[in-house]
Amino acid sequence: MEKILKSHTRTTLSVVLVLTIVFTCVFSLAAGSPAAPSSDDAKSTQKPSASSIQIQPIDPGDVPIPPDFRVAVYENLITQIQKTGKFQHVYRSGDKDAASAPDLVTLSMVTQSFNKGSQKKREVTTVSGSSQITLKVHITDHAGKTVVDRDVQGKVRFFGENLRVTYDFSKKVAKIVNDTF
Amino acid sequence: MSIQNLATKPGFRARGLFLLVISAPFLFLAAPARSQTSDAPQTTPSVTLPNVKLVIGGDTVKNNATGTLSVVGNVLQFTTDKATMQVQAPSILDMFTNEDSRQDITGAAKVATMAIPYGGSRVLSLFSHGVDVFTVEFTDANGGYHGTIFMLPQKMAAPFKKQLVAMGAKASVPLAPEPENK
Repeated sequence: MEKILKSHTRTTLSVVLVLTIVFTCVFSLAAGSPAAPSSDDAKSTQKPSASSIQIQPIDPGDVPIPPDFRVAVYENLITQIQKTGKFQHVYRSGDKDAASAPDLVTLSMVTQSFNKGSQKKREVTTVSGSSQITLKVHITDHAGKTVVDRDVQGKVRFFGENLRVTYDFSKKVAKIVNDTF
Repeated sequence: MSIQNLATKPGFRARGLFLLVISAPFLFLAAPARSQTSDAPQTTPSVTLPNVKLVIGGDTVKNNATGTLSVVGNVLQFTTDKATMQVQAPSILDMFTNEDSRQDITGAAKVATMAIPYGGSRVLSLFSHGVDVFTVEFTDANGGYHGTIFMLPQKMAAPFKKQLVAMGAKASVPLAPEPENK
C-alpha cells in the first residue's frame, strides 16, 4: 500500500513540476513578445521614408583619386540605387526636377583613402596588389538631418579589373540604402 | 534632212522653246542643291574611330558596348548597331585622357593635379597601359551630371579631346605637348 502511495505522490509531483515549467515559459515569452512592442520602441525602429534621392558626385577631399574611378563609382552607384527599387526617382546631381521633390534625401561621398592596386600583381601573386577605395557616405533628409554617416570600403582582392572596386563599393552602399529606407 | 534645215523649221523652234521653258526651273533648282552639298562637311565626322568600347555611363547604350566614336559638328557621338549616344560639346564639363599633361597645373586646378600622380607624366587609370581611357563628364538637358568612360586604342583619345575643346567643351587638364620631331 505504501509503495502505491509513494509512486502516486511521485507522479503527481512530476506533473506539477512539468506544468510549472510550461507556464513559466509561456508567461516569460508573452511578456517579451515582439508582437506587442511599446510605442517608444516602435518609434525608434521605424525606417525613414523618402520617395526620391539625389546623388552627388564624389568629393575627392585631400585624397588623389583618378577621374575614371570617380565617374565609375558615380555611374555604378546610380545603377545600384535604382536597382533597390526604394525610390520613385533617383536624381543626378544638378537635376532641376530634384528641387520640387517633397521628401528628397541627398547622398554625398568624401574620399577617405584610395589604393589603386594592380590587376597584374593580383593575378600573379594572388596576395598582393589589391585595390581599395574607402569613402565616407553621408545621407541627409530634406531637413538636413543625417540619416546615414558611414565609411564604406570597396575592394578587389584576387581577380578582376580595377573597375570591380567601384562596383563592389556601389553594391555595399546600395545595401545600406536598402536596409535604411 | 540636215540639222540646219531642222533649226529653221518653225515647228521645231516652237518645240525647242517649249522644252526650254519647261526645263528652266530645274536649271535654277540645281543651284541650292549644290549649296547644300557644300554644307555637307559640317555633318561629316571630323574625328571618327571604330571599335571603341563604352565601359560605363552610356544612358541609351549598354555598358561594354562596342561602336564608333566620332565628333560630328559640335557633338560627341557614340554609335552601335542598336543605339546612339550624343553629347553636345558645350555641355561637357571636363575630359580626361591618358595623354593629359601633369604640368601647368597649379592653384585652382589642385584637385585635377591630385588625380594624376600615379607614375610618369601620364594619368594611369582603371585599365592596363595598352589602352587609352577617355573620360567625359557632362550635363544632360535637365542639368543632371553624367560621366562616361570610353576605352580606345593607345594614343587615340587626344584627337577627340582636342576637337571637342575647339567646339566649346571644357577641360581642366590640358593635353601633354606632342614630342618635337627631330
